[in-house]
Amino acid sequence: MDKRLILSVAGSGKTRYIIDYTDEERRFLILTYTINNVANIRSRVAAKYGCIPKNIEIYSYFSFLYSFCFKPFLLNAVGAKGIDFKGMAHFKAVGDARYFDRFRRIYSYRLAKVLEVNGVIDAVKARIEKYFDAVLIDEVQDFGGNDFAFLERIVACTVDLVLVGDFFQHTYDTSRDGNVNKNLHADLAGYLARFEAAGVIVDPDTLGNSYRCSKSVCAFIRETMGVAIDTHRDDETRIEYVDRDDGIRELLGSGATIKLFYENGKTYPLNSKNWGDSKGEDHHQDVCVVLNKNTDKFYREGRLAELPPRTKNKLYVAITRTRNDLYLVPESKVRKLLAG
Amino acid sequence: MKYITRVKLKNFKRFTEIQVPLQEKLNIIIGENESGKSTILSAISLVLGGNRGQIEKIGYERLLNHGVVSAFLESERRYEDLPKAYVELWFNDFGEHELDGRNNSEGVDGHGLKMEFCPNDEFGPTIRQILQGAERNFPFEFYQVRFYTFQGDAYSGYKKYVRHIVIDTSQIGNDYAVREYVGDMYDTYAEPLEKVVHQNEYRKLKEGFGLNVMKDLNERAEKYSFALKSDSKSNIRTDLTLIEESIGIENKGKGRQCFIKTEFALKRAEGVRQKIDVALIEEPENHLSHLNMKRLVGMIAAADDKQLIIATHSNMISSRLDLRNTIYMHSADRNPILLTDLPDDTAEFFIKAPYHGILDYVLSKKVILVEGDSEYILMAKFYEMVKGHSMDTDQVHVFSVGGTSFKRYLDVANLLGIKTAVVRDNDTDYQRNCVELYEDYNADHIKVFSDQDNGRSTFEKCLYQDNEAVCTEWFAAGRKTLTVQEYMLKNKAESALEILRRMQDGFAVPQYIREAIEWISG
Repeated sequence: MDKRLILSVAGSGKTRYIIDYTDEERRFLILTYTINNVANIRSRVAAKYGCIPKNIEIYSYFSFLYSFCFKPFLLNAVGAKGIDFKGMAHFKAVGDARYFDRFRRIYSYRLAKVLEVNGVIDAVKARIEKYFDAVLIDEVQDFGGNDFAFLERIVACTVDLVLVGDFFQHTYDTSRDGNVNKNLHADLAGYLARFEAAGVIVDPDTLGNSYRCSKSVCAFIRETMGVAIDTHRDDETRIEYVDRDDGIRELLGSGATIKLFYENGKTYPLNSKNWGDSKGEDHHQDVCVVLNKNTDKFYREGRLAELPPRTKNKLYVAITRTRNDLYLVPESKVRKLLAG
Repeated sequence: MKYITRVKLKNFKRFTEIQVPLQEKLNIIIGENESGKSTILSAISLVLGGNRGQIEKIGYERLLNHGVVSAFLESERRYEDLPKAYVELWFNDFGEHELDGRNNSEGVDGHGLKMEFCPNDEFGPTIRQILQGAERNFPFEFYQVRFYTFQGDAYSGYKKYVRHIVIDTSQIGNDYAVREYVGDMYDTYAEPLEKVVHQNEYRKLKEGFGLNVMKDLNERAEKYSFALKSDSKSNIRTDLTLIEESIGIENKGKGRQCFIKTEFALKRAEGVRQKIDVALIEEPENHLSHLNMKRLVGMIAAADDKQLIIATHSNMISSRLDLRNTIYMHSADRNPILLTDLPDDTAEFFIKAPYHGILDYVLSKKVILVEGDSEYILMAKFYEMVKGHSMDTDQVHVFSVGGTSFKRYLDVANLLGIKTAVVRDNDTDYQRNCVELYEDYNADHIKVFSDQDNGRSTFEKCLYQDNEAVCTEWFAAGRKTLTVQEYMLKNKAESALEILRRMQDGFAVPQYIREAIEWISG
């Protein structure tokens, strides 16, 4: 049984790796987190085979949990009317209210827990083993809380299991639930140790080099942020900290250059979004990363590596969007210019 | 092979609760009229069809069990007690996880589809109001149908987990049924893409007809123009027919239609693109001559690449296709009996034996089995003489076995619990022929009757010895070499007919036959 966690740096061809891993013989389950990713993988699979072959099933993670794991065993027995992605149970809730909202939708962050408390995890494992030969999980770094616990159980299935993810792109948790796996992402070594303890081999090499980011960008990330990333490319690209008004004005006026903000990206004009929301995007040429006050300070002091993990990871996501040049811009200047 | 392993019905039509196990290939459902044979077939077809419109067209009033509805109306009429009905089809495991789950009546792992009728909770308050009304009104209009897989997903007819076809010979001549049939067969042969191309080309053809062929006409019509319709009621599917030797199927004789339909659906063909998994055939014997029946039986026997579920009244179909494939529906609301356990040699006997009414036997409750024609001819009269009324009154039937193969019938009686009196000759050895031979059949419902005097070895001898005077009177005239008893033995059927014709008071019914009649009527 192949049980691997492949650490994939940004732009290293993670999706391509997943698609290449499939064939027309074995039965594959591909899980990914976002609907966008599902669509992306689906179209890449269709491009490879001319259609979605019957032996490859692609699910978004929660629809997999609900449709493939919950419903077959518990729909009639327990009953549910779908998933509540936003709500959370009151911390004093008892009984069913811990798992269901008032429309009897299951709280997404506790969906995996519902499987466990109803004792169907083994049945779910058997079902996965019965219908699939290989399970591929994308963006595995975002598994948290109950979902990570579920993942640890699923590892024991007698199927090939390939987990792909980038610890440093962990910007989000599928499940956050009190103390359940609260410190999972505290540091890389501890995180990897959890996988190794579950019998998963950690592979940092296969997807350790980026196709997207240039030699210069990767060096910049290694040196300033302390994140291990290398590249297949050997060209140099421009990295520039821009704080002059005319320079910033030019960047803001360029529709072609995406501006990535720490937050509220959508409120800024012309091709702007948040660092975290750019995750998974692969089509940007030049990228302008707007540094919020704190990050700007850390940058100027040469201490980006010491940023709080979540901020650091989002920044890493934003920086690694660039295929060409990288511009760093202080947010305070941007605001001042737009206000004036 | 994809096949149905069992059908479960709850509160559906005439059944409150029933389960019908099915075999992988051939299933022959037999039963009296109104025993629910067609209900089983239509239940299967409705579930596989997954068509809400079809359900609503039939109406919940006709789908929900009447008894359950009346019982509800008699009760306190509480909303939560409103009856639900369902039909579940359980399949073999053919690796489709969408069918796999515990969302079934037993809550256990299984592969299947479920059709459920239940009140629509959205109308809860209105329904409650209706129920509280003074009038005893059942809220059929507020019922809804749900189709879902055991995994818990809703499905509709577009999702063909299992492909099926219905061949209902009672619907022969019905335009709709012909269209459905032709459409189904078209689906099995045509590739999905091919169908789209056909649809498109056909529409263009019609448009072209309006534009080109009717050009002159339309110019005269000026402001308006004539054209061919192209919509849901007139399209390639509605206009399709099946041609054999340049005659459309709907214009063939009924018998031929039946035959073509079955043959076309059953045959294994190279051209088929979407194989039919389950064929539901209702009374295939309708409109068929004896010869065509034999051919039909041959076709059915050869169709081993799909599951066949056949409802029939035909002795020939049920026995020639091996009684072990038979599912016997009671008239009562009970699980059917399978003849799967019939001994091999007995099943083999009924496949090979000359004409017999085995199906009629199976459907009977009380039976007198006799050896031959003469007993058969006289038994009804004897019954009347002993009981003072006819056998039909007591629902007793007589079957002539045509020899002494009683055991074959008793094997069937054993499975079905048919009360059977065997009336036979002792053939000069009562102990061996009438006692020891049947030791294995000492059931309460099976009994062998024969004269215990080895001298009285045949029916005719008993008749003669018990009625010497009248027999001599009736048969002595003209006898030169044979004695009366010898004559009767040599001309069994003729003398039985003569006795029946001249029967008079005081004629003595042999004691063992009298006992058989008393026992069977009891």
